[in-house]
Amino acid sequence: MNPSTFAAVSAVLVEQFRVDAAAVGPQVALDQLGLDSLALMEFVFAVEDRFDVRIPEDRLDPRQAGVTLEQLAQLLDEAIAGKASRDVVNG
Amino acid sequence: MSSTARSRVGAPVAVTGAGVVSPIGNDLAAFDEALFVGRSAVRAHALDLPGIELPPVPVARSEFDAAAVIAPSRVPLDRGTAMALATADEAARDARLAPGRFDAERLGVFWGSGMAGATTFELTCRTVYADRRRMRPTSVVTTMPNAPVAEIALRFGARGAALAYACACASSAVAIGEAMRAIRAGWIDIAIAGGSESLLTPGVLASWQAMRVLTPLAAGTDREASAQRACRPFSIDRAGFALGEAAAAFVLESAEHARARGATVRFDLAGYATNCDGVHITNPDAIGQARAMRAALADAGLSADAIGYLNAHGTATLSGDAAEAESIAAVFGANGVPVSSTKAIHGHLLGAGGAVELLAASRALAAARLPPTGDVDAADPAFALDLVTGPARTSTGLAAVMSNSFAFGGTNAVLIATRARG
Repeated sequence: MNPSTFAAVSAVLVEQFRVDAAAVGPQVALDQLGLDSLALMEFVFAVEDRFDVRIPEDRLDPRQAGVTLEQLAQLLDEAIAGKASRDVVNG
Repeated sequence: MSSTARSRVGAPVAVTGAGVVSPIGNDLAAFDEALFVGRSAVRAHALDLPGIELPPVPVARSEFDAAAVIAPSRVPLDRGTAMALATADEAARDARLAPGRFDAERLGVFWGSGMAGATTFELTCRTVYADRRRMRPTSVVTTMPNAPVAEIALRFGARGAALAYACACASSAVAIGEAMRAIRAGWIDIAIAGGSESLLTPGVLASWQAMRVLTPLAAGTDREASAQRACRPFSIDRAGFALGEAAAAFVLESAEHARARGATVRFDLAGYATNCDGVHITNPDAIGQARAMRAALADAGLSADAIGYLNAHGTATLSGDAAEAESIAAVFGANGVPVSSTKAIHGHLLGAGGAVELLAASRALAAARLPPTGDVDAADPAFALDLVTGPARTSTGLAAVMSNSFAFGGTNAVLIATRARG
């Protein structure tokens, strides 16, 4: 997990979704953030938009129990890497 | 815990709290200050429509930070819904309506808005069609017409009712009136009622401009001055209105519920009536309006001469003001009641208009002063109308006031407020 990716995820949670910064950590699960399923989907949209990437729907369902913020950050890292290689190909 | 559902037909309903976000102020002190001097909040506003050249329009914006309002669901809120929540919170604070201190099954929320969610809806369309970006998961719940009432109900855990009224410019007057009826009928004991509207987006403004009901503005350096005086209700040189954005909320209770919890009653809602012209989609009808005013008087058990002030619908259109001047004279007689239209200063607030104008009328009642019609200095001589102009007029002993709301679609709604008894 790239620490800067996690930092950006944390910032979105605190700034846009008013989650207490003390309640945010890599091992915290999405369903422990006090957000309902709709807000969680909005949250995933927001972090995807921040990096201009998409996590494939078959890789992540934010409503699924136990998905951690670290896992989310790793999926973002993969998507960012995929985008970078595409950008090189598309040059 | 539930109290007995006892009918209170014809009884006044107590208003124990109020909250407002408006172009003329977001608290009662600021609101009163602008109201009684007739200071206009209307300004010139450029239309940002890519590829389309349109003249600027007069607009009355509220100083309001929607991002500071946190929804119970923590999803993003439409600007109008944020205003709705802020005013409901303020009304509840004013009424000392603390959570857990009332029976949630006996609390209802009744909310009016002509186009709730309009701001988000237009942005959503831009996202898809102009920016070519994807829809958001919360697009549905932020643009649905019952979003404001749903968020307020969530905030207060209301279990009695959550009803949204969309009847254009009469929406919030109807919402307040229907809340009053529900309390009188004994279905609920307490209600949060009011309305909100925020649709000052380029597409919506351009649509109103296309109807030619917004006052055209002067060019060049005279533009701002002409914007401030854009809405001149009942004057001979009236030329249309300015759109505004606002919200206002009230806490309504049965008299016995207010008494039992020791609440301070700000004023009583004594009468309400709604009907429909059944004549035309936009043209007003003096006959339908007069029927609504007479029905509200009958509902309050008052004669016309008991009303000491009328806050008119008064949109400053040629035909609208003529019809209302005629209907007022039919009910009250020539020059029979002091009238003003505060739309001159806060603009046409559409679905929020009935609630904000009831607040204006209730402030007149509290201060025994009648607010003027902006800086309009005389009524059109064709009207037999006692128009309040110039500085606020003192009205010693003012005991009952009326507020008119007449909508596109033909819906008329009339509310009567009286001084709180004892």
